[in-house]
Amino acid sequence: MPATTENNQGSFLGRISIRRNQVMSMDGSHDQELEDLELFQKHVGDRFSELLSSTTDDPSNDALLSIGWLRRLLDELLCCEAEFKAVVMMGRDPSQIAKPPLDRLLPELLDRVVKSLDICNAVTLGIDAVRNLQRLAEIAVAALEPRPMGDGQVRRAKKALNSLVAAMMHEDRDCGSSKGTERSRSFGRRGNANKDRGGGTFRSLSWTMARNWSAAKQIHAMSSNLAAPRGAEATGLPSPIYIMSTVLVFVMWTLAAAIPCQERNGLGTHLPFPRQLSWAQPMISLQEKMAEEWKKKEKKGSVGLLEEMQKIEKVGQLLIDFAESFQFPGESERLEEIRGHVEELADICRKMDEGLEPLQLQIREVFHRLVRTRSEFLHVLDQAVKLSAPTV
Amino acid sequence: MEEDQHMVAAAQHILKALASSKTVSHEMRKTLLDLEIQLSTINERKGSGIKQLERKLKCLEDKVMSLEKNDSVISSEYLKLVGEIQTLQQKFDSLNENWKQKELVQKSNEILQVVMLRLEEELVQILVNHKQYFEVDYMSFNSNRVDLVYDESFGSVEDERINKVSRSIDDSLSEASNIDLVNPSVVEDLKSIAKAMFGSNYQHEFCHVFISSRRDALDEYFVILEIERLSIENMLKMEWQSLNRMIKKWIRAMKFIVQAYLVGEKRLCKQILGDFGSVYQYCFSEISRSSVLHLLNFGEAIAMGTHTPEKLFCLLDMYEALEHVAVDKDFLFIEEIDSFVTREFHNLQRIIVETIKSTFLSFRNAIATNPSKKCFPCGGVHPLTKYVMNYINALVEYGDSLDLLVDETSIDPSDSNDENNYENSTLSCSPLACNLRLITTTLESNLCNKSKLYNDVALQHIFMMNNIHYMVQKVKSSNLCNFFGDLWLRRHVGMFQHYARSYEKVSWSSVLSFLRDESLSNCVTERKIKKKCKDFSAAFGEVYKTQTGWSVPDKELREDLQISVSQKVIPAYRSYTGRHTSKIDEKWIKYTVDDLQCYILDLFLGSSKSLHHSHHRK
Repeated sequence: MPATTENNQGSFLGRISIRRNQVMSMDGSHDQELEDLELFQKHVGDRFSELLSSTTDDPSNDALLSIGWLRRLLDELLCCEAEFKAVVMMGRDPSQIAKPPLDRLLPELLDRVVKSLDICNAVTLGIDAVRNLQRLAEIAVAALEPRPMGDGQVRRAKKALNSLVAAMMHEDRDCGSSKGTERSRSFGRRGNANKDRGGGTFRSLSWTMARNWSAAKQIHAMSSNLAAPRGAEATGLPSPIYIMSTVLVFVMWTLAAAIPCQERNGLGTHLPFPRQLSWAQPMISLQEKMAEEWKKKEKKGSVGLLEEMQKIEKVGQLLIDFAESFQFPGESERLEEIRGHVEELADICRKMDEGLEPLQLQIREVFHRLVRTRSEFLHVLDQAVKLSAPTV
Repeated sequence: MEEDQHMVAAAQHILKALASSKTVSHEMRKTLLDLEIQLSTINERKGSGIKQLERKLKCLEDKVMSLEKNDSVISSEYLKLVGEIQTLQQKFDSLNENWKQKELVQKSNEILQVVMLRLEEELVQILVNHKQYFEVDYMSFNSNRVDLVYDESFGSVEDERINKVSRSIDDSLSEASNIDLVNPSVVEDLKSIAKAMFGSNYQHEFCHVFISSRRDALDEYFVILEIERLSIENMLKMEWQSLNRMIKKWIRAMKFIVQAYLVGEKRLCKQILGDFGSVYQYCFSEISRSSVLHLLNFGEAIAMGTHTPEKLFCLLDMYEALEHVAVDKDFLFIEEIDSFVTREFHNLQRIIVETIKSTFLSFRNAIATNPSKKCFPCGGVHPLTKYVMNYINALVEYGDSLDLLVDETSIDPSDSNDENNYENSTLSCSPLACNLRLITTTLESNLCNKSKLYNDVALQHIFMMNNIHYMVQKVKSSNLCNFFGDLWLRRHVGMFQHYARSYEKVSWSSVLSFLRDESLSNCVTERKIKKKCKDFSAAFGEVYKTQTGWSVPDKELREDLQISVSQKVIPAYRSYTGRHTSKIDEKWIKYTVDDLQCYILDLFLGSSKSLHHSHHRK
């Protein structure tokens, strides 16, 4: 976890403000501005490069799309955002920000920000859904931990695991038709000999955004008008705006891919990132990796790239298979193997227990930061309009 | 009996251990084992032992199977069984750990699982079937408050009755604070099930079902309260009327959910799970969290919209709603467990406060920059004046809240109200009062600009007189007088009177100049008198034609002005015509004194007339 974020931010901002104050003439400030813009680009590239390499270098690091990794991703987003604001707004005359082509580019960015806010909310709900799944997994662990392993416990575990797997499917599939309070409750019918199919309450927690809201569509809309600035624009303010937009789209796409959120079926796997720009390379690599996984999962019919959830799914399925074939007292070798998996499951649950709430808090922080940034930009644009309007 | 069993078991254990020792002789071993067998038979003979436990277990199993076949069995039957199973399990635990014991334990667990499953299903049924619903209608409120949206076509809007959102919701809510969300008759059953499940280590299942079910119940209320879930994007695009309606629903929901529903929910959780430590708080937290967050998100989305003045009242209502539920919220959401929710609440409050301040500021800016392009016809009271005065009149209903919220730094240092200090009312020194005076000063400035659009200077004065008078009347006749104070009133009365006097001077001095003689009356020639009479008539006619088209909407002010004009014109006319009666030809005099009096009463009625000579010939 980059504990030095604050320091980095502070020193970077400090450097910029000192420089701005030192510069007297307009000409000098232009070069310095170019330097700032380049630095911003470089920092973005570095940050995502770091995120990329951490997944490949050291296996003890947070794996790609694990809770820990997502938290680092959000940290980087916050850093980028802070730098972006410093580069574009600090010490700048409002009228510079309001003239073309920024008068078109900034509102587009702010529109993306608003969409991101909705995605943040959807993902927050999604984390509640994940937490729900964690609880089911914990039931399975509580069932299978005590010795001796008996039929009763195994059945108990199987019920929980079936609910778990079904809930995971449900999060992404059939929810299109479920609305509001219509929840399907299927319970093991009384007298049903097969007690193992005790039904769970299939409540899709992540599908409580507005009706017809679709994460996939929002991200598509966010990315559809992303266009790299060309020519003279590439060295001016349009550049950081483009970079920030790209970062925003990337992070939102990642969140939607990892965590269940309303209507992410049809999430496009191709994002229009500029292949030729160096700062974008790490992002592109990461995105391609994740897109691969996404496509694989889509084919299998289950989606949800959060690493911990994938593990739960895998282990859960193993345990279900075991449960189907279990007969007391069972072979001790097999039992040992299973205990290993149970331990694994318990471990994942622990990680989720520790990590999900902080993740939610972080997403919330991102939310608030984006709201603040948006209102600051609107304020500046407003000022620019007032300054240019004829006095009454 | 049991102690005996333990003793026997212990003895058996010791014997076995001794028998397996390497140092013991063969004969000794044989003796020990014989003893062991004898002890076993004692146990069996005494009828207490594994066999009996096994039989008991089989008995339970059969009971459970038969219950399962019977659909109408209720949970109390199963609960009894749980007790028996738990007792048996305790006995099993005290046995030697051998293959048999393990088998018995696992069998008992199997039976237990069946029973637990059944209890779980029963739990769901009870929770779903015994939910109680409350009429939220009596909590509907009437808001007669006219939406104060500024519109140039407001010309005909008279002073609307401004009623604040009825505060009667609060009273009715105190009645609702003890609602039972679940039929009280089933609470004992729920508690028993909880005890059984927690006691058997099935607390996870219980909590899972409980939380899900209660969450669904809470969601249903969102439908009842007509709280739609909308994306922030769509909310930012919504037009004001719809947004306004939604905000009102939100306020109602916020109050009901926090003060009535969630208080009830927490009480329910405590009732059912209170015996198990802090579990009930955790469950409550999980149940309530996402719904509360949804409400808070809505508030944030509202605050994100543009800060147009008409939103100020809704924002103030929202602020007051949040303040209102603060106490309950603190009780419901404990910092340690619900830090997320408490933080978001504070955040929302902070944002609303900022938005209120910013909106207030934008209101003032809107007044200052209100465009003056065309002059307002007839010089009457400008819609902007009405709007602003009605607006601030409505604002002071929120006096307590606003006082805390208005920006103290924007107080005009030249607005010295020291003379007000000796008055009883300290309200007029409050930050809100200072801000209100700043607003009216801004309004006056803008009105001044507007008055300059009139070519006729006299009309400029009429316009200012009308508007300042309106402001004074509005302040006098409402709560605003407490905020503006006597000094402000005196000053502004003086102001509009000054404008009246200026008008008279500008309009009438030239007309009246015709009724004066430059020299002594004896020397005035007939020709001069004739000219003067004709000039006077013409001038008066002109003034009449123009100024009947002007408007002084306030009856009293109009009459005062007319009287004042009469008091200047009539005596002068009378004395002039009186002085020169001998020389004046009737033809030159178009109007009698009475005529003039009548005509003056036509002035300022807003409809232009012209004088006909025939009118005179009666």
